[in-house]
Amino acid sequence: MNQSKRAYVSLSLFALAIGVLPFVIPSPYIIGVMCFIAIYGALAMSKAVLMENAGVFSLAHPAWFGIGAYVTALAAVRGVPPLLAILIAAVFVAILAYVMGAPLLRLKGYYLANATFALLIIIEILIGNMGSFTGGHQGLLGIPYLSIGTFKLQGDRHFYFLSWGLCLGTFWFLYNLMNSRVGRAMRSFNDSEVASMSMGINVPNYKLKIFVITAVMASLAGSILCFWLRFIMPAMFGFPLLVELITIIIIGGGKTLYGPLLGSFIVMWVRELIHMYLGKVLPVMTAEVDALFFGVIIVIILVFMPGGLAGWLEQLIHAERRIRERFGRTEYPS
Amino acid sequence: MTLFSQILQYTISGITSGSIYAVIGICWSVVYLITKVLNFTTGEFLMLGGMLTWGFHGAGLGLFPASLIAVAATICIAIVMERTAIRPVRYPSEMTYMMLTIALASIIKGGILLKWGSETRKIDPIFGTDVLHVFGATITPQVICVIAFLVIVTVGLSWFFNYTLFGKALRASAVNNTGAKLVGIDISIFRLFCFGLAGGLGAITGIITAPITFTGYEIGLLNGLKGLVVAIVGGWGIIGTVIAGLGLGLLEGFCAGFISAGLKDVFALLVMIIFLIISTYRIPSVFKRETS
Repeated sequence: MNQSKRAYVSLSLFALAIGVLPFVIPSPYIIGVMCFIAIYGALAMSKAVLMENAGVFSLAHPAWFGIGAYVTALAAVRGVPPLLAILIAAVFVAILAYVMGAPLLRLKGYYLANATFALLIIIEILIGNMGSFTGGHQGLLGIPYLSIGTFKLQGDRHFYFLSWGLCLGTFWFLYNLMNSRVGRAMRSFNDSEVASMSMGINVPNYKLKIFVITAVMASLAGSILCFWLRFIMPAMFGFPLLVELITIIIIGGGKTLYGPLLGSFIVMWVRELIHMYLGKVLPVMTAEVDALFFGVIIVIILVFMPGGLAGWLEQLIHAERRIRERFGRTEYPS
Repeated sequence: MTLFSQILQYTISGITSGSIYAVIGICWSVVYLITKVLNFTTGEFLMLGGMLTWGFHGAGLGLFPASLIAVAATICIAIVMERTAIRPVRYPSEMTYMMLTIALASIIKGGILLKWGSETRKIDPIFGTDVLHVFGATITPQVICVIAFLVIVTVGLSWFFNYTLFGKALRASAVNNTGAKLVGIDISIFRLFCFGLAGGLGAITGIITAPITFTGYEIGLLNGLKGLVVAIVGGWGIIGTVIAGLGLGLLEGFCAGFISAGLKDVFALLVMIIFLIISTYRIPSVFKRETS
């Protein structure tokens, strides 16, 4: 069985397990957490591809998520059909990411990271200061239900399937992208920009393309989040979300695609455990307190396990292969 | 208030906040030049200085001993952080350092939030509350104290880096790390020294600005970022950072006065984005710096 077939089999098995889960465990609490895992997993996957595979160290990812959510919500509140609102948000974010990305992606390394970090903070402040138009710091209430024709999506189970559909769709798209000509080109300029330029790869063009594509993915995740919670506020898309995304990517390991999904699963359940067991002990329980625990996890993982869980698993597989080689079998598992 | 006194008032507040940004910018560049770590906890040092002083003062110590202990504690935190978290990273890259220091910043911030809550705190001014009136504008002694601190830091550090053996060795290791190691300079002491220096300067800034701007768990992020803006625009040097800091402070003061107080942070951060974008276009003989 070759690699891509194996990936499709495992993806469809995983999708089957996800599809069966709400009928096996009908607890609304678990389904709600799984929705968060899917949305944050999709977000983290696109950020991981941008950061670790294409080498564009952009910290503005939560900003695209937030703008997508806000544009969708503002359009839906004014009576635009929800699906059209999602589309409008995606197009808006694509245009904005293109306009901002074209000059910003000329920067590299620390400077790119600083500029995009400043962009994230600027967008958070702007959304908070727009007064009654965006609801200000208090947030935007009264977002209508997501309805397709006459079918109205409400309740956790509908959004469970919707968000996991988005997550697995993102996975499938990014998997194909990374194993295509474009993806190989991106991995090559992550390793050496000069070498791939000399091979005829148009590096700035590819960087801008992947920047816009991942921004649109973040915007879609934001749209689904805003229809699910039916309430958004600027504090949901700022610095704490950035720390959370970095934690997800570092725990899971960003070099592979399943790493961020694994990381999202772990981080969300760790957060639920913290809220469940420490909520009574601690005086305040906000996103910044979560960021304290995630910060500790980031430091520990970066010091002791730089590749993340996925990197560790890959090492295990590698070791297993070498053991097989030693015992004289030439047949490789892939 | 006449327009003239209004302009004078905005200038004074601009110079005050500009001095703060200049000192924070020096903290960033001292750490960045020697260790190549972009230390996102710099803003949190400022917050730690103010909040620890408030905490120790509230525990019954006098204001002066409390601020001394706070500065010492911040220096210790900075040094411990370098030893236990930043040094042991196995495959250091720019991304790793950045994520690591962002994580450390959120640890410090969350810890203070858990300990002392989210209210803004105020420290009593060290030099009294008498107000000077100059042409209709008001100056408090604390403002003079902030500006004097900037002058002392600038002159002191310039002397230190240019006329002492230790400072010259620091500059040498900033220019070429390997070369400095080859001539027998102990880099690891310098890394500790730089983090300690940044921590100490940041904490003192936090203490002397706390009576003017108040302090709280969340002031670190934006003040730190503006320090970074200043350090980048000033080209990582002391004199450049001071000029850029005062410029940014004035810009922010006038934007807050004449346009919108809520959006002044946006203008400050836009300065960095626009500067970085412009500096990628190599205008001959204007920007000679590499920005990669």
